[in-house]
Amino acid sequence: MQTTLVERTSSPPPGQKANRPNKITADRVVSNSAALVLGVFFILPMLWMVLASVDHGATNQLRAPDLTAEHYWVAIQADNLAALGNSLLISTVATVVGTAAAFIAAYVFSKHNIPFKNPLLLTVLFLSGVPISILIVPVYKMFSILGWLSIIPTGILLGVTAIPFQIYQLKNFVDAVPAELEEAAALEQASTLQILFRVILPLTKPGLASSAIFGFVNAWGNFLMPVVLINSLADQPAPVHLFGFMGSNTIDYGAIAAYSIVYSFPIIILFLAMSRQFKAGFSLGGAVK
Amino acid sequence: MNSKRLMMATQGAVAATDPQDRGDRSDQAHIRVRLDLPRVHPISFVLLAPAALLLGTLFLGPVVYAIYLGFTNLQLIGIHAVNYRFTGLSNVAFLLSDAVFYKSLWLTVIFVVGSGAIATTLLGLILALALQNCVAPIRWIASAAAILAWTLPPTTIAFLWMATSTQSGLIAMLAGNMRLDLLYKYSMLVVSTANAWSLAGLAMTMFSAALRNIPGDLMEAAQLEGASSVQCLMRITLPMLKPTIVTCALLMMLMTFGNFTLIYLMTGGGPGNDTNILPVYTYLQGFKFHNLGYAALLGNVMVLLSALLGGLFVWATKSRR
Repeated sequence: MQTTLVERTSSPPPGQKANRPNKITADRVVSNSAALVLGVFFILPMLWMVLASVDHGATNQLRAPDLTAEHYWVAIQADNLAALGNSLLISTVATVVGTAAAFIAAYVFSKHNIPFKNPLLLTVLFLSGVPISILIVPVYKMFSILGWLSIIPTGILLGVTAIPFQIYQLKNFVDAVPAELEEAAALEQASTLQILFRVILPLTKPGLASSAIFGFVNAWGNFLMPVVLINSLADQPAPVHLFGFMGSNTIDYGAIAAYSIVYSFPIIILFLAMSRQFKAGFSLGGAVK
Repeated sequence: MNSKRLMMATQGAVAATDPQDRGDRSDQAHIRVRLDLPRVHPISFVLLAPAALLLGTLFLGPVVYAIYLGFTNLQLIGIHAVNYRFTGLSNVAFLLSDAVFYKSLWLTVIFVVGSGAIATTLLGLILALALQNCVAPIRWIASAAAILAWTLPPTTIAFLWMATSTQSGLIAMLAGNMRLDLLYKYSMLVVSTANAWSLAGLAMTMFSAALRNIPGDLMEAAQLEGASSVQCLMRITLPMLKPTIVTCALLMMLMTFGNFTLIYLMTGGGPGNDTNILPVYTYLQGFKFHNLGYAALLGNVMVLLSALLGGLFVWATKSRR
């Protein structure tokens, strides 16, 4: 980006009023009402879902709820919880496999000299944009030959599909670690692995966290891979289970809404955690004196 | 040739300052390799191996394997599930005469360009611009809602929009016509809106960041010259945002192209193939009509399309640097 960041000095000099017109102008009205309309557009469907989840006779209409917790009781029944457990297993496997492999690869791409680095990085960038639905046929065929149509290989596959993006994400964080720190460690006779785990790893923890969150969210939300690649109905994760709810003839909106909320909740929390990490900032400039 | 001569010239051991080179210290007296160039260490490849192995076997490998499968008569069940064979161009011939494929391709273009590139980018841009000078509570609520919509998993989004847009749903209620089944009547429009709804939060954050980076004195100068706010928007803000708009549109296209779950859960490709975009059609051909070989060929078409999109993306980000 060629644009530079300009800090806006917002505090006026003492004794003077801020030089900001406080009157109602036409464009302020326009932007306020536009924001309001769009805000309503974004909120309404979610508001409906929250209300339906606590409404006794929930329909797909927006109305004041007849308060009840019965839908949440349905949502935490054994088989529904088991589906969430499967999701947790798949996402954890995916996160661990993807983040670990991507981290050390990102370190090599960032700090080491390897032949064909730029073409390799371009390939990685390209893979991060490829829609993973192209993988279903060949991977299904591969897994069925190998007898892998089960939960762990699916988790590993989902982890692998996140690796290209994670490499890019982590490379940015490793790039930010000053070379001087590594050189200092190298002068102290630290091996490459020691540098990786004692110098780079502690300094890129925020990056690792956001990369792990990306991997987790990516696997948690995926519907297509489990539905194709997991044979056993009992091993299906929450999104597929949710789809089973939706596909039935009489849709119980309240129960689906409650289960959707329970299913979406961890993701929302993780995103909030990640945004705090971004806000906290990442400055290693102070590490070099 | 050239390198040999250079090697002679620099024989006086130029100590490399790479952090990885401690192991070679002892050899420096009788060194015959260039030390002023960064060297390639075997450990780099060891560290790259896990990612390379995983990506090779579970990502690139299958993509290559699919190229072969696309030219076979592989079936999901039946005799061709095991004893499938290479059938040459018969799948391609079928593809070229498949009316559903052409329709699907066209719908994919509409969905990716209309919903991804245009609707999502516009929605994010308008939101970011409107939030710039509006009162705090509205700004807070609108941006939180847009970001929350973006964080929801695709299955939840599909359920939300299915419930809102079918008969007697929220939109029908707002329109005052309970029998209006928007999802059935204007299915493509509804899934496109749902897609834009779910991605606009990301577009908004991109544009908000870019807007903060526009120097304030540009605006002040324009205002001193008596420019109206419309002029400021058209002559300053939008031109300054142009790189972000291009990047955002391309990124949204890539993300929309991958959005299989939303459409499949909301409409299943129907009614009457009206929302049957390529990813959905691939899935249906492979796992509903059991034509795995043909589905692999459709997947290959998708690889080509995403290569095109990815190429555009790389080109656009490179030409900006």
